[in-house]
Amino acid sequence: MAKEFMKGCEAIAEAAIQAGCHYFFGYPITPQTEVPEYMAAKLPKIGGCFLQAESEVAAINMVYGAAGAGARVMTSSSSPGVSLKLEGISYLAGAELPAVIVNMMRGGPGLGSIQASQGDYFQTTKGGGHGDYHVIALAPSTVQEAIDLMQDAFDLADMYRTPTMLLADGTIGQMMEPVEFKPREKRTDLPAKDWATTGWGPNSNRPRAVVNSLYIETEELQEMNDRLQARYRMIEEKETRVELYNVEDAEVILCAYGTVARICKSAVALAAKQGVKVGLVRPITIWPFPKKAVHDTIAQDSVKTVITIEISAGQMVEDVRLAVNGEKEVQFFGKPGSYCPTAEEICEKIMEMRRA
Amino acid sequence: MKKTYVLIGNYGSGKTEISLNLALESRKKGSTVLVDLDIINPYFRSTERKDMLDEHDIQLFSPIFAMTTVEVPSLPPDIYSVFIDNHDTVIFDVGGDPAGAIALGQYKHHFDTLEDLEVLYVVNAIRPFTKEVDMVLDMMEKIKACSRLNITGFVNNSNISYETTKEEIMRGYELMKGLYEKTGIETRMTTGIEEQLNEFMKDAEAMNLDKKFIGETMPIKRYMHRDWETFSEYGI
Repeated sequence: MAKEFMKGCEAIAEAAIQAGCHYFFGYPITPQTEVPEYMAAKLPKIGGCFLQAESEVAAINMVYGAAGAGARVMTSSSSPGVSLKLEGISYLAGAELPAVIVNMMRGGPGLGSIQASQGDYFQTTKGGGHGDYHVIALAPSTVQEAIDLMQDAFDLADMYRTPTMLLADGTIGQMMEPVEFKPREKRTDLPAKDWATTGWGPNSNRPRAVVNSLYIETEELQEMNDRLQARYRMIEEKETRVELYNVEDAEVILCAYGTVARICKSAVALAAKQGVKVGLVRPITIWPFPKKAVHDTIAQDSVKTVITIEISAGQMVEDVRLAVNGEKEVQFFGKPGSYCPTAEEICEKIMEMRRA
Repeated sequence: MKKTYVLIGNYGSGKTEISLNLALESRKKGSTVLVDLDIINPYFRSTERKDMLDEHDIQLFSPIFAMTTVEVPSLPPDIYSVFIDNHDTVIFDVGGDPAGAIALGQYKHHFDTLEDLEVLYVVNAIRPFTKEVDMVLDMMEKIKACSRLNITGFVNNSNISYETTKEEIMRGYELMKGLYEKTGIETRMTTGIEEQLNEFMKDAEAMNLDKKFIGETMPIKRYMHRDWETFSEYGI
């Protein structure tokens, strides 16, 4: 198939459509507005529905409605907008509804900036909204990977009846790259959506479908939570994804995700020129976090220095430290806001932070 | 005589890259001014290359809040000076889509006074909303209405970044032909990285392709890349 030249936001939108998502509810915010723009142009032509809601809060509740009716549905936003959606995401988790949410992260807190950032790692992986829930969170580092993960996101959401997030920094949304939409085989192992509210009549061969996240009886709530937790353990076991790059016998291990991981790869090449063997661990799912891969890579005897690099004040570094469990020191390099390091800077930092 | 170029088109069609290249090319022949009129997208704008333009003594006008990450579509009054002052070449790098072209509307009366005005519609045949003639025309009519200018020529900037071959330029050529049939507007310029552009031109001569759909050729150097675009595995 011929390659196309697409901006990350456009590619994500097209990937969603090709994954069978015909419903989009959202609200504009830089740097993800091209996602709703693309959906607005395309969805009406294929019999889908694009709706610009009156707010992010409204949009996520429309997603709840469409998901409850059994449709493949998504919304997208950027950091401050996702904050507004969190209540709805918690409700989606509580009602066990599959939906896909894209967060094209920008600098924060507050309205912050419109430049790329990775400041929403905590928000995404540590709940965000209220209650004991998780979302599956996929973090692409190229536009092509954003396409592939976006298509997986819908399958994962349906498979586990859970909201799934694509967490990318603004750079992924705004940059243009040659991409390919590979034909994908439709998964046949996804559970039927027999819980969906598709209409009921006296002749319906099933009980009424009720979509709700209210469990007023303690036992009922307990049962629902147990079910969710069991599902989360299954997701951790089956769906954890990680890329290990140049890690064998490395002296220095970098941990990074998204765009930063890509810059780190350039830094790995720069460091190699100076005779230092550096490897990279790149979580592709940031929840479930690839604990074992991170631990085992860092536990290698050759590894003397571990540095986590983020466009944040240090968020994922906490999960890296938990995975390493004190066996080795994990250092951090990064800045909050929207500061993005260059490969040269990372290389300099590696030399500076290297343990003899 | 002063020559003025206005570059309009779909977002992501390559207007900024062409503006920078055209500015550097024009500067070889005389004084050159570049107006960054992009009020649409705060990323990848020509003002990002101010240092390079300064080095070449190319005057740059930018929206007031450009490069501050504040989204205010506010244009400085000194832009009016480019219509009055003596420059050899003035280039307007306009924001994408109809919303971007709105920025031009207010200068209509000034554009009307210009004798040598070239309004170029930039098309990349590999981009999602400009693959086919009807798609291009649909967008073009809207942009034209907002800009209040008549389009005088097309630019075939068909590319797929660093993976471009002569095939993409050829796809653009076919699109240019289709656009001419519907509008009567010729192609003023075909752009591309020098090597692929030369390969395309060799084929063009061999196949005796019509100059009307090619125009001048302008080899492009890429200036709007990310500074860390050096890594190999994923290409960029």
